[in-house]
Amino acid sequence: MARIALLVLLLALLASAPLWIGSGYALSVLVLCNLWAVFAISWDFMSGQTGRENFGHGMFIGTGAYTAALLNLHTVVSPAACLPIAGVAAAAVAVVIGLPTLRLKGPYFALATLAAAAILQRFTIIFWEQMGGEEGLSGLSSLVSSPVGFYYASLAFLVLATGALVTLAASPWGILLRGIRGDEVACDAAGISTTRHKIGALVVSAFVAGVGGAMYAFFQLQAGPYLLGVNTSLSVIIMSYVGGIGTVYGAIGGAFLLTGLGEGLRRFGEYRLLFNSVFLIFIVFFLPRGLFAPLWQRLRRRAETA
Amino acid sequence: MLEILLYGAVTSAVYALLAIGFTLVFGVARVLNLAHGSFYALGAYLTFAFGTRLGLPLFAAGPCAVIAVAGFGVVVERVFVRPLRRSPLAVLLITLAVALLVEQGLFLVFGSEVRNVPAFVAANVSIAHVDLGGQRVLAFVVSLALLAALRTFLLGTRNGAAILAVAQDPEGAQSVGIDPNRTFSLVMALSAGLAAAAGVLVSPFLTVQPTMGLLPMIKAFSIVILGGLGSIPGTLLAALALGYSETAVAYLTSGSYTELVSLVAILLTLVLRPSGFLGARAAM
Amino acid sequence: MRTTVIGLQFLLAAVIGMSAPGQAAPAAAGAPIRIGITTPMQLAVGRDSQDGAQLAIDEINAKGGVLGRRLEMVVADETENPETGITAVKKLTSDEKVDVLVGGYSSGVTLAQLPHISTAKTIYLGIGAASPAITAKVKTDNENYKYIFRVNPLNSKWLAASLVDFVVNFVGAEKGLKKIAIVGESAKWVQDLVPALKKGIVDGGSQVPLAEFFDVQTSDFSPLFSKVRASGAEFLVVIVSHASSDVLVKQWYDARVPIPIGGIDVKSQDPDFFGRVGGKAIGETVLVGFLRAAVTPKTIPFWDAFVKRFQRNPVYTAGGAYDAIHLYAEAAARAKTIEAGPVIKELEKTDMVGTAGRIAFDDTHDLRYGPGYAQVMFVQWQEGGKRAIVWPKERADGKFVLPAMAKK
Repeated sequence: MARIALLVLLLALLASAPLWIGSGYALSVLVLCNLWAVFAISWDFMSGQTGRENFGHGMFIGTGAYTAALLNLHTVVSPAACLPIAGVAAAAVAVVIGLPTLRLKGPYFALATLAAAAILQRFTIIFWEQMGGEEGLSGLSSLVSSPVGFYYASLAFLVLATGALVTLAASPWGILLRGIRGDEVACDAAGISTTRHKIGALVVSAFVAGVGGAMYAFFQLQAGPYLLGVNTSLSVIIMSYVGGIGTVYGAIGGAFLLTGLGEGLRRFGEYRLLFNSVFLIFIVFFLPRGLFAPLWQRLRRRAETA
Repeated sequence: MLEILLYGAVTSAVYALLAIGFTLVFGVARVLNLAHGSFYALGAYLTFAFGTRLGLPLFAAGPCAVIAVAGFGVVVERVFVRPLRRSPLAVLLITLAVALLVEQGLFLVFGSEVRNVPAFVAANVSIAHVDLGGQRVLAFVVSLALLAALRTFLLGTRNGAAILAVAQDPEGAQSVGIDPNRTFSLVMALSAGLAAAAGVLVSPFLTVQPTMGLLPMIKAFSIVILGGLGSIPGTLLAALALGYSETAVAYLTSGSYTELVSLVAILLTLVLRPSGFLGARAAM
Repeated sequence: MRTTVIGLQFLLAAVIGMSAPGQAAPAAAGAPIRIGITTPMQLAVGRDSQDGAQLAIDEINAKGGVLGRRLEMVVADETENPETGITAVKKLTSDEKVDVLVGGYSSGVTLAQLPHISTAKTIYLGIGAASPAITAKVKTDNENYKYIFRVNPLNSKWLAASLVDFVVNFVGAEKGLKKIAIVGESAKWVQDLVPALKKGIVDGGSQVPLAEFFDVQTSDFSPLFSKVRASGAEFLVVIVSHASSDVLVKQWYDARVPIPIGGIDVKSQDPDFFGRVGGKAIGETVLVGFLRAAVTPKTIPFWDAFVKRFQRNPVYTAGGAYDAIHLYAEAAARAKTIEAGPVIKELEKTDMVGTAGRIAFDDTHDLRYGPGYAQVMFVQWQEGGKRAIVWPKERADGKFVLPAMAKK
C-alpha cells in the first residue's frame, strides 16, 4: 500500500513538474532525464534480465537517432511517424549483431557489442557526406515545439515504456529470461531455444532504445556520432547499476540521479567531472547492489511484514 | 615490407606489455580492471613530472614512475577492488570511476595540453634503410626484456608460482597455504607496473595527454579477449596479431581505415572463434 | 525508510533545483549587462576564452561600461559533448538570462547549439569554431538565425584559400617545390576542404602526387610518411585539428623525413607547442591567425596585457573573445540599447580593428576575408622556438629555412 502511494506521489511530482519548476533549463534537464531513463531501462531489460551485459547500447540509441534524422532531413515523414521506424531500424541492428554474438558469454559478448557500436560510429565518419561526419546532422524539426509539451511527451513515453518492460519482465517470458541468466545450460537441456529468446530480449531492448534515440534527436534537434560512442554505452550501464540491475524500474532512478547530478554540479566549473567520479565511487562502494531498487524492495518487505 | 616488419614489431611488443598485466589480473582475480589505462597514463605523466619538474635524469625518472604506479595499483586493489570482488560488475564500475578520477586529476594538475617527455635515446637507428627512432628500438628491447623477466618470475619464483596456482585453482591454492589476497595485490602491482612501463616507453613518440589511457585500455581489453581470457600465450599471440594487422593495413591501404579494420577483425574473430585464439575457458 | 525514500525525492528535486538560481533581476536601468561565455572549460582554449573576455570586460567597465551599465560575465562549460553544450546554452539563456552569448570551439557542439540559441533569440558571437555550416543559415533562414555571428576564426573555406595561395605562390613559385603531398585527418571539415585545395594547387601549376586521409586516433604515422616519401613529394601539407599533431610532428622529426612539412595544424598555432614536442616542430610552417607580432596596433598590447595578468601565452580564442566583447560593446553603444534587433543591425555594420585583423562581416555574418580585412599568416618554427612569419610577403619578418633533413 505504501508503495502504491509512493508511486502515485512520484508520478504526481513528475507530472506537475512544469508547474513548480520555474526554469526552462531545469525542465529541459528533466526531459533529458526521461530520455536517459528510457535508454537505461531498455538496457536493463536485456542485460539485467538475461545477464548478458551489452557494452554497445549506444548503437541502438544512435541508430534510432540517425534514422530519425535522415528521414527528417530527406523525406516528408513527420517526426512522430519517424519514431516507430527508428525503433524498427534499431531492432534490425539488434538482429544483425545479436545473431552471431549472443552465443558468447560475459566479457566476450561485451567486447563484441563494444566493437559493433564502434564500427557503426566509424561509419558515420566514413560516410561523412550522408551522415555529417563528426559534425553530425543538425537542423532537425522538433517533435513537439513547446518545451512543456515535449516534457509531457517524454514522460508519457517513459511511463509507457516502463509499463511495457516491467510487464514483460514479470511475465512468463521474463521468468524464462531470468532463467537463462541463472543457468543457461539447464535451459538448453530443457529444450528451450535460449538464443531465440536472447535475441528477442535484445530486439525489444533495441526497439525501445531506438525510439528513445529518435525522440532524443527531435529534442536536441541534432544527431551526432557521440550517441554511438563508448561514453553513451557506459553511461547507460552506470545508470542501471546505480538504480539496481535487473529491476528495470531501478534504472529510472539511476538515470535521473546521474543526469541531474551532471547538470547540478555545474557550479563547480572545471571540477564538475571530478566530483562526478568521486560520487560514482561512493555509490558503487557503499551500495554495490544499487541505490533505488534495494530501497524499493525493502519497502515492499516492510509492507509485507507489516 | 621490412618497414611493416620492424614497425609492427614495436607496436606488438608494446601492446603485449599493456595487455599482459590485464590478463594476469583477470586470470588471478577474475575481474576486469578498467583503471588499467590510468596506469599507462600515470606512467607517462609521472616520468614527465619526475624528469621535468623534479629534474631527475630520464633513466631514473622512468623506473621511479613505474614503481610509483605499481604502488598505486596496490592501493587501488586494496581500497577499491578487494571489498567488491564478489561482484565483477561492481569492480568494473568502480575501476571505471577510478579511471575517470585519475583522468580528471591529470587535467587539473597538468592541464589539457600535451606534455613532452624527451626521448631516452636521442639517436636514430637505421636498419637496412628503414629509419627507426632510437626510442622505438628502446621500447621494443625493453618490452621484450620485461616480458622475459615476467616469464622468469612466474615460472621460477615462489611468488610467481603462487600467482599461477591461484589463477588455476583459487581454492586449491588456498588449501596449500597460499594467501589469495597477497597474491592479488602482487598481481595488481605487476599489472600496474607493466602498464606504466608501456606508458613510459612510448611517451616520447606518442602523445601525453590526460585522455591517453582510454584507447590503449580498449586495445588491451580487445587483445586479452581475443587471445582468450586468462591465457598468457593467447594474449601474446593476439598482441602480435593486432599489432601487425594494424601496421600492415596502414601501409597497404589508407590510414583512415585502420581502426575500422581492427574493429571488424575483432568482431569476426569473436564470431568465428568465440573462446579467442587460445582460450581454455569456454566462452559459450 | 519511508522518510529516506521521500528524502531521496527531495534530493532529486534539490539536485535539479540547484541549477535554478535566484532569478536574475529584469534588466532595469543600471543593472549589469550579462555576457554568457559557453566554452570547454577544461581545455586551454576554454580558459583563454574566459580570460580574454575578462580582460575586455575590465577595460570597458573601467571606462564606464556600456550605456552606463557594467558588463558581467557568466561561464558555462560546454565541453566537447553536444549534449552538454546544449544544456549549457539553455542554462545561460533561460536561467542566467544573459544578454549575449560568446564562445565556441568544437564545430560539432556549436552546430548542435544553434537551433537552441535561435529559439532563445539571443545574439551569439562565435570565437572558436570554423565550420562553414555555422553561418550558412544566416542568409537562408534569416528570421531565425540572424543572431549568429562569427568573429573568429576565419571560415575554413577561407583557410583553404589562403593555404592554396601559400602552396602555389610561396612553396611552388618562390621555393620551387612543386610536388605536394596532402595528408589530412579523416574528418568532415577536412574532407570538405581537400578537393578545393587540390584543385587550387593544380590550377596554380603544382602537382599533387598524393592525397591521403588518416584516422583521427592514429598514433603511428610511419606508414603515412613512407607513402609520402614514395610519392616523390617535395612538400608535405598537413591538415590537422583534433588528431594528435604533436605525435605527427615528433614522428616526422624522428623518422628524419626529408620533406618539409606545413599547412593547417591547429595545435601548432599555440606558442607553447614547440616546447611540448621537445623542439621537434622545427621547420614546420603553419597557418596562424594570432601571434605576438604587429599584425594590428592592438595585437602586441593585448598580448602583453594578457601575459602580464594571466602569466601564460594566449591562444586564438583569447583574442577572439576580447575582440567579440569590444565589438559588441561598440554595437550596443551605437544602437543605444541591448535589444537584439537593433544591436544586430549595428553588429552588421561593424568595422573595427581587432587583435588579429580588421573585423567586418559579410552578408552571412561571417568574418570577412581578404586584403585589408582578416587574413592569416604562414609562420615557421625556427631555432629556439622562434616563430618567423614567412608569408604573405607584406608581413614577412623572417626567412624560410629548409629543415636540416630536407637539405639535399
